[in-house]
Amino acid sequence: MRPLSPVLASLANVFRIPISQTPARPMINRICNETVKSPTTGPVTSAIQQSARPFSTTNALLKRKGGGPRGDRRITLIRYFLWHPLTPRPLRFSRTRYLRHWTIHRAWQLYQAQQRREQQLELQRQWQSMQSACEELRTGAGDGGKLFRKSMIKTGVFRDLVPIEYGRLQTESPAKEGWNHEWKRPEKR
Amino acid sequence: MAHCERASKPLLQCLQRTCTKGLPSLQVQSARTFQTTALAREEAQTEAKTQSFYKSPDPSLVSSPRLERRMLRQGISPIGSRRRRAALQDSANIPFEQLPYQCFQEARKVLLGDREEKLKQISTMSEKISRLEAVPTEEAGGEQAKKSKLRAMELHLDHLKILADSNDPLVKKKFEDGQGDMSKPIYRFLADRKWREYRRKILVQRITQMNVVPDVLPHCEPVVDTKLYFGRNAIQLGEFVNASASAMVPKLDIQLFDRDEKLVTIAVVDPDVPNVEKDGFDYKMHYLAVNVPISATSTKVDLSKLSTESQEILPWLPPVAQKGSPYHRLSLFILEQKDSKPLDFAAVKAKETDRDNTLLRTLQARYHLKPIGAHLFRTKWDETTEEVMRQIGFPEADMELRRKRVEPLPYKRRNPSTFR
Repeated sequence: MRPLSPVLASLANVFRIPISQTPARPMINRICNETVKSPTTGPVTSAIQQSARPFSTTNALLKRKGGGPRGDRRITLIRYFLWHPLTPRPLRFSRTRYLRHWTIHRAWQLYQAQQRREQQLELQRQWQSMQSACEELRTGAGDGGKLFRKSMIKTGVFRDLVPIEYGRLQTESPAKEGWNHEWKRPEKR
Repeated sequence: MAHCERASKPLLQCLQRTCTKGLPSLQVQSARTFQTTALAREEAQTEAKTQSFYKSPDPSLVSSPRLERRMLRQGISPIGSRRRRAALQDSANIPFEQLPYQCFQEARKVLLGDREEKLKQISTMSEKISRLEAVPTEEAGGEQAKKSKLRAMELHLDHLKILADSNDPLVKKKFEDGQGDMSKPIYRFLADRKWREYRRKILVQRITQMNVVPDVLPHCEPVVDTKLYFGRNAIQLGEFVNASASAMVPKLDIQLFDRDEKLVTIAVVDPDVPNVEKDGFDYKMHYLAVNVPISATSTKVDLSKLSTESQEILPWLPPVAQKGSPYHRLSLFILEQKDSKPLDFAAVKAKETDRDNTLLRTLQARYHLKPIGAHLFRTKWDETTEEVMRQIGFPEADMELRRKRVEPLPYKRRNPSTFR
């Protein structure tokens, strides 16, 4: 038997399932093979087999070896993992608790929306101030807009050289230690 | 030491809170966090019990079977499950919005702040609207521009009203309990959304699959929720109804999701009356009433109680299907009258007297009606039909329709000599 993965072990601990008795969850391909090879002895349909009585109600198509409708394999797998004892139970809330949960959820969504809106407005403000600065340069510099035209020429931008500030990954805040003075270029061998 | 601290933390918090803040609501909150008020609560309960609980038990709190039986004999049914009632007995009845959960309270603060903001926006918007209305048309840039601007602003105002209330958990709870006040925009919005999620889809599917829509009327975009009752039985869309049941006049529940009141015309049309001479089917108008007022709050319309002097034009004719005829679709249409103006009852009454030759399409064109709601049920021959036919004096009650026998083609030899 494979040892349980840490997640499953902790789950088993939480749900008080003795690890020694529960079989570890088989790998997906193993289940697939099992279900494909022998549908009547697979884990899902084992109930049919257990309830086999002397006067069987199994229809002939199911009884025949390798025959019978096997169903969609994805559905089989979903059902297997959904009803496996190690799968945690679904979250069930009481009425008021659900309402509280809903309140908190709505508040969180609202808060996020407000933040997004603020960021958007900030970006808009920055863009517009840049735009007005360019306009000022074009009309107010007194050189007929020559400086502006020069600054708008973009030949070779990002082609021959990349600006130095893009040499490293852009971050929100500066590094904790500003400059690593001890850094030396690694010597070539 | 650490354990000591952890254990005494709630006690300390509780004491601090009760000392610093003497507000009654906060004391209730602290009652939840720590069991100091348990004694007081028990006292209150025992007092209530010894005095009056056994004599007049509360239907939402009673849990012993003996008391429940006594209440049932008095005709009061206890509320909720016994388990719930027992749990409610020893709970501090804190109102929902004061429940002492930190995250919940913070969330409420956020939501209330947003609501304040929305209310402010609503007031500024309504001020803007009134200001624009005061401006003369020439300054506002023409009639069309002013009208469209006003319309857009009103739409925005409605949207804001919904946004202001949509995050309130108590609104949600009330709506889910079916206690929403339909005169308020938020409940109308929620009801409309719920209707569109399922019931409207079913309605549209049924009336298109059973071909009511191209047969009776060319188009129908339902915007009101319609329910049909015979007696106390709600009829599902397209259900087969017994002839004896449909002999009584139906009741309607028309839920409007708009604010303003509307005047509607209600018509019940059967497009499946067999016509033997024509070898086809005829229409029959089973009911027609005009000038029926409906609004979001007054939804019930009893077709038998509409006044014959000003509303009912053709009274209810019980639908019957002859034996052997295919099932009849009885389609009910709610048609909005133009600008909610009343039709001239006497003129309509004088004109529409013939049940057989009145098409709903003609009526729609003649009186400028617009379909806003529909319902559908079916009827076929059953054991009660004959009696109903006798009651209403149906002319060919004892006639059975038969399919024409198709004569088989004459025998033809399969392998004649010409094939060889």
